[in-house]
Amino acid sequence: MKRFFQRLRNHSKLAYFSFWFLVFFYIVSFFADILAPYHFDYQFRNKPYQPPTKIHFIDESGHFHIRPFVYNMIIDDPVFRTYREDQSTRYPVKFIVNGPERKIFFVFKTSKYLFGVDEPAGIFLFGTDTYGRDIFSRLLYGGRISLSISIVGVLISFTLGMITGGIAGYFGGLIDQILMRFVEILMVFPSFYLMLSLRAMFPLNLSSIQVYFLIVLILSLIGWAGLARIIRGMVLSIKEEDYVLAAKSLGLSHWRILFFHIFPNTFSYTITALTISVPGYIIGEAALSLLGLGIQEPYPSWGNILSSTIGNLKVVGDAPWLLLAGVFIFAVLINFNLLGDALRNVLDPKNW
Amino acid sequence: MEKILEIKNLSVIRKQKEKFVPVLNDINFSIEKDELFCLVGESGCGKTSLALSIMKLLPKSFTVKSGEIFVNGKNILAMDEQSIRSMRGREMSIIFQDPGAYLDPLFTIGVHMKEAFHGDTKQQQVLMTSALKEVGLEPYMLHSYPHQLSGGQQQRVMIAMALINKPSLVIADEPTTALDILTTYQIINLLDTIRKKYHPGMLFITHDLKLATKIGTRTGIMYNGYIVEIFIPGKTRPAHPYSSILMGTEYKYSRISEATLSWQSDICPFFEKCPERDSECEKQIAFTWYQDMTGIRCIKHGRNSQV
Amino acid sequence: MKTFILKRLLQLIPMLIGMSFISFMIIQSSPGDYFAQMKMNPEISPETIEMMKINFGLDKPVLVQYLLWLKNMCRMDFGISFAYHIPVTTLIKFRLKNTLCLAIFSLFLSWVIAVPLAVLAGYKEGTNIDRMLSIFAYLSISLPSFFVALLFVYFISKTGVLPLGGTRSIFDVNASAFLIFKDYMKHLLVPGLVLCFVNIGWLFRLMKNNFVEVFNTPYILAAWARGLPASSIIFKHTLRNALNPMFTILGMEIGSILNGAALTEIICGWPGMGSLILEAVLSHDLYLVMGALVISGFLLIIGNLIGDILLTIFDPRIRLT
Repeated sequence: MKRFFQRLRNHSKLAYFSFWFLVFFYIVSFFADILAPYHFDYQFRNKPYQPPTKIHFIDESGHFHIRPFVYNMIIDDPVFRTYREDQSTRYPVKFIVNGPERKIFFVFKTSKYLFGVDEPAGIFLFGTDTYGRDIFSRLLYGGRISLSISIVGVLISFTLGMITGGIAGYFGGLIDQILMRFVEILMVFPSFYLMLSLRAMFPLNLSSIQVYFLIVLILSLIGWAGLARIIRGMVLSIKEEDYVLAAKSLGLSHWRILFFHIFPNTFSYTITALTISVPGYIIGEAALSLLGLGIQEPYPSWGNILSSTIGNLKVVGDAPWLLLAGVFIFAVLINFNLLGDALRNVLDPKNW
Repeated sequence: MEKILEIKNLSVIRKQKEKFVPVLNDINFSIEKDELFCLVGESGCGKTSLALSIMKLLPKSFTVKSGEIFVNGKNILAMDEQSIRSMRGREMSIIFQDPGAYLDPLFTIGVHMKEAFHGDTKQQQVLMTSALKEVGLEPYMLHSYPHQLSGGQQQRVMIAMALINKPSLVIADEPTTALDILTTYQIINLLDTIRKKYHPGMLFITHDLKLATKIGTRTGIMYNGYIVEIFIPGKTRPAHPYSSILMGTEYKYSRISEATLSWQSDICPFFEKCPERDSECEKQIAFTWYQDMTGIRCIKHGRNSQV
Repeated sequence: MKTFILKRLLQLIPMLIGMSFISFMIIQSSPGDYFAQMKMNPEISPETIEMMKINFGLDKPVLVQYLLWLKNMCRMDFGISFAYHIPVTTLIKFRLKNTLCLAIFSLFLSWVIAVPLAVLAGYKEGTNIDRMLSIFAYLSISLPSFFVALLFVYFISKTGVLPLGGTRSIFDVNASAFLIFKDYMKHLLVPGLVLCFVNIGWLFRLMKNNFVEVFNTPYILAAWARGLPASSIIFKHTLRNALNPMFTILGMEIGSILNGAALTEIICGWPGMGSLILEAVLSHDLYLVMGALVISGFLLIIGNLIGDILLTIFDPRIRLT
């Protein structure tokens, strides 16, 4: 493992950075509950589309303050939603503050927040949306949904793909024929159309938790076919290797050979493939949510934060910070791509 | 005699993972008209790099550190890309090792031949056909694709292309390594006939010393980027310990292992592997030339006895 | 050549049957009886329902229903749309035309841009030009199509240089054909450029990798040794050889461009297959979903076929086996 990191770093500093960037993103969104200054559904009804709050160190009379503070933003013109800072009162940024009670990790009830300011002021690092909800908090919570869907989806479809491809390649014959024909037919459909059709099998109004698992299910159903085909090809060639023949002659069971002697030899490929395919799942989730077929309000996901901008060009102009969800998606995707490319080289036995 | 090829103090290095590795060191020799100079050495000793340096086709990671290469009296290394291009195929040409890999799979033999031909277009068709006939191929093969020919036929095509402009220098880089024994002899005979007909200077690269002594007018032995000995087969007997090992006569095979890329410029290049080494050899050793254009890079052995 | 195409076409038949069967099963397993749903809908006349019942055997077992549907599909009859009350075929025909125009336009544009750039970057590998183009490719690969579409639509709406949404803004019956075509192309430009941008990145990368790989092959070295000029080596030998694997990619690309096109269409308001299937899913219009799914799969199969045929035309090694 240590050698692997060393090699990755030697191969490409950028990819090494990407790796840690992704780890950081996943950790931050995992702890969204704790890190977010507001609950994703907490609304400031009088602050729709408020621009990002400025954090000050120097007050209007020029005095420096060690503790950063914000001013309350007051809506100036309700039609054009222009805001101005009310500089009469300073609201210092505090750590561990009380707020409305919410659940952390779906279990623990608490009213403490990591940081925040006293109301009526609000600390909106990335501004607010049409209901006056904090975009920063929603992005963190949304990241938890979007990123976890991608990981769970990838794992499920890889398990499916490994098992199907392994069985087809190892046992061959009729099983192979049937499985591979099925896989080929699945691959005939453009994934977006298949995704929407599979979504059409289910009612539109499902509970959020149902939708979550439905998306995972749909995305992994679409994703496994391509992998199964490649794993089959690899198994087909590995099973002719001497050590597999040796294992066979020792009388090991088929499953043992498959899981302990064949699959481990496909890992360098599968880990790369896994990394490269995560972006597809993130895009898939975002696309479904963007179109209103995925995660539903009030729950946030990167896709549905963006969806409020579709067909509503005025909003994009008034509140461009809503596009940050897209920027987040882009940031995660580009890092996955960079990491995937580097892994392809690093894990390739030819380059050792 | 007229010197077709003259190489002076050629050193080439290669960039490998931020480090520079020597490929060719202090190469000095020349080839005259109608001469067949054989270059023998194990794989990785720099034979192919030498061939590519003469064609000025070294990959980007290679750099010529010092030295000069003259073909027909023209300094190749000082030439720009345009003028070197006009020399390739016309004044010097090369035949490669694995003919299948050196023919573009998407184009017919005819297209290849047309590209190789740098003469009067009116004569093109006639000359192409006669060149094919000369190497023992049928004219209809102009319409064939490379994958439709056998290895031997492909190599014949390469030879026909290399000779179509009657160049004064022909480099053959292990032209028979990828072929079976029977085809090898056919190709060797073909090269020999052609040499007798056109009298080009020929650089024949091979790893087979027996073959080299059989066909060559002069033979050079390369080790780890150095030419360690040049001798005339049938006239002088090779004396360098490495040559003796290659001849398979003097030492037990067990002492020989693969040449390493470890390189110290200040000792004898063969020091590590030499069965006869002693403290005397731990210094830089120059190549000693004799009058008949032979020579040796060894302080233990001077010029050896006449055969 | 003819026999090859014929063989390939015959191979398609089981593929098409399997594909249609899967499409049918996906829709069949949808919960809720859409036949009952149809009856409840006051806007669908009893005659239509009766016709559908007979044509599609909606009261018969699933397998019979499938066979009937397959039979109707061969006659280009995909049933009636619940939401639009017109035949699915009519709807798809109109939308398919738009999607194909969009796909072909952006496909053509992205190849025309990506291939020369890839050749340039491949030839100058390791230089700053190569590095810049590679960064651009990374951007293009990593920016999701919907995000590019959003940004681009916003930009266009701000500047107003191009029309947005729909396929035409001239509704004059007397307008000349050229004027209508010009108008159509103008509308096509926004989704077309978005799709082209999204597509260019990976096309460029694949092409560049192919180019570099071919450029380092022995036969290119031999071509240099024959004294050929650089232009002939790059454009005749390297480019031709590097393009060959791209023909196989073309088939795959049809799929990816259809995916990208769907989202782009929806965001740019281009009435194509993507927005059609979205509307169908949102209104639970199952026959329409099924038709759109089958047609999209069919397009991909055709794409693969075209790729294969092109490859056999351009690669003599395959032609003769």
